[in-house]
Amino acid sequence: MITLKEALTKSQDELNRLKTQMENKAKEGGLNAYIGFESSGEGVPILIKDNIQVKGWSLTCGSKILQGYIAPYEATAITHLKSHGMAPFGRANMDEFAMGSTTESSYYGKTLNPHNKEHVPGGSSGGSAAAVAGGIAIAALGSDTGGSIRQPAAYCGCVGMKPTYGRVSRYGLGAYSSSLDQIGPITQNVEDAAILYDAIAGHDPKDSTSADMETVSVAQNLNPDRKLTIAVIDNYISEADSQTQRVFAQTVEKLRNAGHTIIHKNRLNTQYDIATYYIIATAEATTNLARYDGIRYGNRASCNNVSELFYNTRSEGFGDEVKRRILLGNFVLSSGFYDAYYLKAQKVRHLIRDEFNAIFKEADLILSPVAPSSAPKIGSISDPLEMYKSDMYTLSINLAGLPALSLPVGKDSANGLPIGLQLIAKAFDEQTLFDGALSLERAVNYQK
Amino acid sequence: MQIDSTILENLEKLSHLHIDEDKKVEIIAQLSDILSYVENLNELDTDHLDASFSTLQGGTLMRSDEPYCDSAISHDILSNAPQSQDDFFIVPAIIE
Repeated sequence: MITLKEALTKSQDELNRLKTQMENKAKEGGLNAYIGFESSGEGVPILIKDNIQVKGWSLTCGSKILQGYIAPYEATAITHLKSHGMAPFGRANMDEFAMGSTTESSYYGKTLNPHNKEHVPGGSSGGSAAAVAGGIAIAALGSDTGGSIRQPAAYCGCVGMKPTYGRVSRYGLGAYSSSLDQIGPITQNVEDAAILYDAIAGHDPKDSTSADMETVSVAQNLNPDRKLTIAVIDNYISEADSQTQRVFAQTVEKLRNAGHTIIHKNRLNTQYDIATYYIIATAEATTNLARYDGIRYGNRASCNNVSELFYNTRSEGFGDEVKRRILLGNFVLSSGFYDAYYLKAQKVRHLIRDEFNAIFKEADLILSPVAPSSAPKIGSISDPLEMYKSDMYTLSINLAGLPALSLPVGKDSANGLPIGLQLIAKAFDEQTLFDGALSLERAVNYQK
Repeated sequence: MQIDSTILENLEKLSHLHIDEDKKVEIIAQLSDILSYVENLNELDTDHLDASFSTLQGGTLMRSDEPYCDSAISHDILSNAPQSQDDFFIVPAIIE
């Protein structure tokens, strides 16, 4: 598949032929990465996760409860995309309401990993990552609430980037956890990620959490020759499997050989990140998902009265994981438990951010695993708490609102699947993040 | 924290969700496991910390409260709603 940079030089006729090829290949390939082949406007086709509004498209967040909903307006990220020579093409499969790490919980069935169809592609933006890695999309948009861009990118062997909270407007993004959600790019390489990030970033008056600051092009200023100070969190690494530890150690050596300075730090145990995240995210999710009542949009279950309308629509419309998180969210927000759970977690967010700020006084970037292993087999994680624990390395970045980028750096020698690592930068320092990532990409020279 | 059937019943009511009878034992065990796990936060001293949190400097921005209406959006939402007529969503009778 041609890169996004190259695609931007092609004529509309060439792009139209490419769209036909991608659609045919996607239908033959059996990855179930696309759940629709809608097209909107002219430009380089970009695959869109099924929770980002494109006016006139069906939008369902991978859920039964939103069957029948048609987006009545455009997400700001999509408006920006269109003004930069790109155009939405196709809807990407995802975990229902972005709640999952495997893309197994979608109403449309599971998406498969393009490297080995017995393994998951990661999630929740599993359709976006599988399509880019599988050569059936040039680039894609995903959303990242606790790792949902970076982790599937790592499992599939492509680049995934979560911008600083507030960099990309959330207007038109299906809300899961509003203080954590960000839209971001999934691409074949770091430079494409910078191009797509540039296109969607910028202040938006329609999103009150959008940062009102000047946006300078990252892609035009990429500099892989900067020598940076990169921190590694020593107590993180011991929690990963031996394959991830091996690839991590090799990558640190390559960064050192490329002229970067490596320093060693420690952080709070990741179990506190997991606990904080699953309290905050479920509390916000239960509030955001209260709007799905079968009255104004989506799917309405058969009912005889208003009480049945609410109960039947929600009980039949939501899947098991979404129900579990709604119940948990209502528990941590309920009278008698609110202080002990929700307010406690809010306070711990300060600790997590303060720790990162302290590290960034000495370091430009942090290098970290994305996941404790390569992509697990489909159906191998059935216990929800075990699934939550597999998000250990990505959650704290959302809790602190930082930008991070995941890229493939090696392979699991036991199963041949990609292993990705992430670089993390201080808030709003996307330039350093991309500069370091481009340097790392060149240093590891990853081969598919 | 051990969830019991009374707490689950209350959570179902707050959530407007019915959990199938044959899944209740499993969901009670799962919720209890998850809540016991997140209680690890009690190991951290947070007494000196503020309970409000924002990653935005200065907190969420204020703006003037000016009404805005794009009637095309309202029209599209109504026309795709499960049941609607004129400018109204239709629901089952509320007053018996």
